Amino acid sequence: MNFLKRFLLMLLMPILFTTHYVYASSIVLTQEQLTGIKKQNMGEKWLMLLWSVDCPPCFKELDMIQKLNKKQADLNVVLINTDASEETLLRRREIINKFQLMDLPNFHFAADQGAQSRFIIDPNWYGELPRSYFFESNGQSHSKSGVVDESLLVSWLGE
Amino acid sequence: MHTSNPLLLSCIGCLLILLMASTNVKAAHKHHIMQATTKDATTCMQNEITCAKTVTTAFAPNSDLWRLWALKGHMYFQVSKDKGVTFSSVRQVNVEKEKISARNENRPKIAFDQYQGVYLSWVMPKEKRYTADVRFSYSKDYGKTFTVPVTVNNDGLDIGHSFNEMRVTDEGEVSMVWLDSRLAHQRRLEGKQTNGSALYFGEANYRKKQFTFSNQQLANNTCVCCRIALDTNTQGELAILWRHIYLDNIREFALLTLTQNESPPLKPVQISHDHWKIDGCPHQGGAISIDQNNRYHMVWFNQGDLGKGIFYASSDDQGESLTKPIGVGMQSAQAAHPHINTLGSKVDIVWTQFNGIKHQLWHQGSNDYGKSFTDAKLLATSSEGADRPFIIKNDGKSFVSWHRLQQGHWVQAL
Repeated sequence: MNFLKRFLLMLLMPILFTTHYVYASSIVLTQEQLTGIKKQNMGEKWLMLLWSVDCPPCFKELDMIQKLNKKQADLNVVLINTDASEETLLRRREIINKFQLMDLPNFHFAADQGAQSRFIIDPNWYGELPRSYFFESNGQSHSKSGVVDESLLVSWLGE
Repeated sequence: MHTSNPLLLSCIGCLLILLMASTNVKAAHKHHIMQATTKDATTCMQNEITCAKTVTTAFAPNSDLWRLWALKGHMYFQVSKDKGVTFSSVRQVNVEKEKISARNENRPKIAFDQYQGVYLSWVMPKEKRYTADVRFSYSKDYGKTFTVPVTVNNDGLDIGHSFNEMRVTDEGEVSMVWLDSRLAHQRRLEGKQTNGSALYFGEANYRKKQFTFSNQQLANNTCVCCRIALDTNTQGELAILWRHIYLDNIREFALLTLTQNESPPLKPVQISHDHWKIDGCPHQGGAISIDQNNRYHMVWFNQGDLGKGIFYASSDDQGESLTKPIGVGMQSAQAAHPHINTLGSKVDIVWTQFNGIKHQLWHQGSNDYGKSFTDAKLLATSSEGADRPFIIKNDGKSFVSWHRLQQGHWVQAL
């Protein structure tokens, strides 16, 4: 019986971990990750949204994404948190959970690597937020600082 | 035989549910392949300055250089008697632990009077998102003991009060400014549209037993995420520079001098005209320094249609008219976070740049009250993160203070 319990626990643990990871975790953004994201989204229109816990206007845009995410399966949005701080870890999770965006790909800047992470995304971006990158299906993109108009988001991410 | 076991049945059920759930998760469709690293950098467990995200420095009237930082709910300080070459051992500010904002534009503030008084102010985030109080504590014995902290904002509301800046006179008159969202809160309750925060001003004097800070609104519709800048003019009046919201989210710098003989209404003047339209957070405040001739010298950062990068300008009439702004630093090299200070005819400006690998600290100086500037000079680099740089002065010399994350705090005479 003990053997059976142990065996089942061994089976369950990786799945429990994996499920938790998918729903609540964020991944450290690296150059390789960014290249991978872009490569995998080639041929599709998608949005990369950068946000911070220190940016009240960012929540307007997260709120819009939440609404779209409820309506639309496979919403092509990648979220990147720019805090670059371990101190904000809980807040980041709270916010993503509050807006129910756990099912979207979530990335974050490595601790104390804010400038480095910003630079690999866009050397001409100075950290103002929210920052949205609209990617065309051919991989080209254009960016906008500040909250994006809802109609633009809807038309860009529309099915 | 085993399938009749209730434990086994329930576990198999769980397995199936979890497997189904995991395959239905949208995030799984593309990005599992990239989920390689989730751990952040090493957690810093010490109270040393190298662990801090921000450092605040100031000279005391006896020329001691103090540096202050916050970690895990406590503030710590060290004192240097040789202008930053060596420092005393680390001492903890002996007040109860509480949350302290110390990141990017936010940091505790320190000031002194001429009677061994040390004054601290900081922002304490509260449980609810975007709520915080401005806090204050005073030491009458040069940092040995501190008073129980008090809240500066007097509205008692669970809303935002942040980005505190403080000045203290030799006689202990404390002036505080901060961004306060009580007006926006009230308007939202009334169902009215609102944008930004409000600029508030408070005074107290612990030496004269005036323990309660006054609270006065100076301006409305300020940007909510940029630091405020302060200096005192030759008449002893406070000059305040902040990022304001004009019209439809045009974020420009505004200046207000709290003149002694003028009653409200207060009239801020617009300083920058770069037309940065953004419904968002620039996270970059400006800086101001007033010279012995009462000329106001200012630096700021914008990314507007009409002006991008760091700009410097000065004014002889408290901002009513301005010299033509000149660009500072290399816009293409991420020039940002400027600070300025004046000393006699000297005007010093520092800022940071980033070349993709290293953070750089740059300096440009003027010896003729800002009419002309020397070429920009690289002062220092940082391989990890970098705090904002600041210029402080003492005994006829200016010093630059720059904290480099994980490397340590750096002070050098300019």
